Amino acid sequence: MAANRSFLLQPWTFVLLLAVAGAAVFGGTHLYVVHHTGAFNEIFVVQMLDKGLRSGDYAAAAGFAAGFLIARILEGPLVGVLDIGGSLMTGIGIGIPAVMLAAGIRAPIENFPLALLTGLVVGAAIGLLIMVIRKIMPEGISSVGTDVMMGAGNAAGRYLGPLIIVSAIQYGIPAGIGAFVGAAVFYKWDKPIAGGAILGAMILGALFPVK
Amino acid sequence: MLVVLIKSLIIGALGGAAIAAGAARMFYAPEVQSMGAFRTLGELNACKGDPITHFSFGLGFLFNSAASVVGAGALTQDVLHRIIPNWAAGLLLLRNRKVEDTMYNPAAMAAAGALVGALVVAFLNTVAAAIPTSMAVVAAKVLGPASNLMINPVMPIIFWLAALDAGKESGIAATILGGLAHMIMGNAVPGCILGILIGKSIEDNGFSRATNIMIALVTILYLLIAYFRGFFVQLAKFI
Repeated sequence: MAANRSFLLQPWTFVLLLAVAGAAVFGGTHLYVVHHTGAFNEIFVVQMLDKGLRSGDYAAAAGFAAGFLIARILEGPLVGVLDIGGSLMTGIGIGIPAVMLAAGIRAPIENFPLALLTGLVVGAAIGLLIMVIRKIMPEGISSVGTDVMMGAGNAAGRYLGPLIIVSAIQYGIPAGIGAFVGAAVFYKWDKPIAGGAILGAMILGALFPVK
Repeated sequence: MLVVLIKSLIIGALGGAAIAAGAARMFYAPEVQSMGAFRTLGELNACKGDPITHFSFGLGFLFNSAASVVGAGALTQDVLHRIIPNWAAGLLLLRNRKVEDTMYNPAAMAAAGALVGALVVAFLNTVAAAIPTSMAVVAAKVLGPASNLMINPVMPIIFWLAALDAGKESGIAATILGGLAHMIMGNAVPGCILGILIGKSIEDNGFSRATNIMIALVTILYLLIAYFRGFFVQLAKFI
């Protein structure tokens, strides 16, 4: 286990991880195009691709996704966390297929093994690009301010529980009661309140649906 | 159906392994390049290594994803952002409560992630329709607004205040870059992060060569994103 652990923490393993993730997400897009299920993205993003599939006009999907992809490729190496929402799921999963389909290249999307391979290659290429940006980045930049960012990241998690309770109350009285009672019970048990709030809201919200 | 099941198992196992390992690497960022999201990091930390909380957090999003995939064939980003990292962590924490050996360990997370990913993706693509609609609706209506509020405005405010508390240089840089980012990228968080990096760099080293290269890179980044997201077209409307 120790050897595996150090291998998966190696700098260049990132390229491998992004390649494999790219294959999966590209495969998901294949599944959506061929079987109408399984795209790794939000409904509104998938609908942009869908519009292209129906009308042949992929400009919306390609433009939206390319913007995100470029932003995340430049941001990722600077902060050390590549945002997989913009880069992987929207960029590789929607943007690149949209560009290919717009150019009339259908095989990498419609053939499953080819889709996995295409995603693998695209992911590896983007992973390499990110590692190159990291290399040419000036020394002494990446280490400063990390403590501030990690502190903020940790603080962000604390807001989730109260936010879920507030949303549940806005949705309806039963879900709201379930959320804060569940949160209180979890707090009594020394559990983070977000879990109790979700379970409570779903149970009472489903038992007494909003008319 | 069988074809979809087999493809889903393959896709889920590949994606789950890579994403879970990438998430474990986040705990070593920025020294190690990782992949995930700052909000995923915050949420994993919020569950404090408690398996039940990791499971229920993921479960809520599973209902939401099920509703989306039944309705529109879209799994939602939450499968890779939330369900797989949290369930992989929860699965490991059931057997060992030490986060250093489990959630922070990319190899263990990759193995758990592959298992969780294969099962979750296969489930969503085949039998998600079996989930009671009422539960799926509640989950979508409660978690949707909560995570939207988290992304905007809660996360920008937290990062902004952290920058203001970190000193004059960070505060000024993060306020300018955060404001621009909220206009151009739609969210201030990346701008505040870059502001903290630049501000701390100015504070420690002054306007050194490294700092100036960083500022130049960030300027190019903003101009490119502004162009690709159509910001200049929006701006031109005021001239």
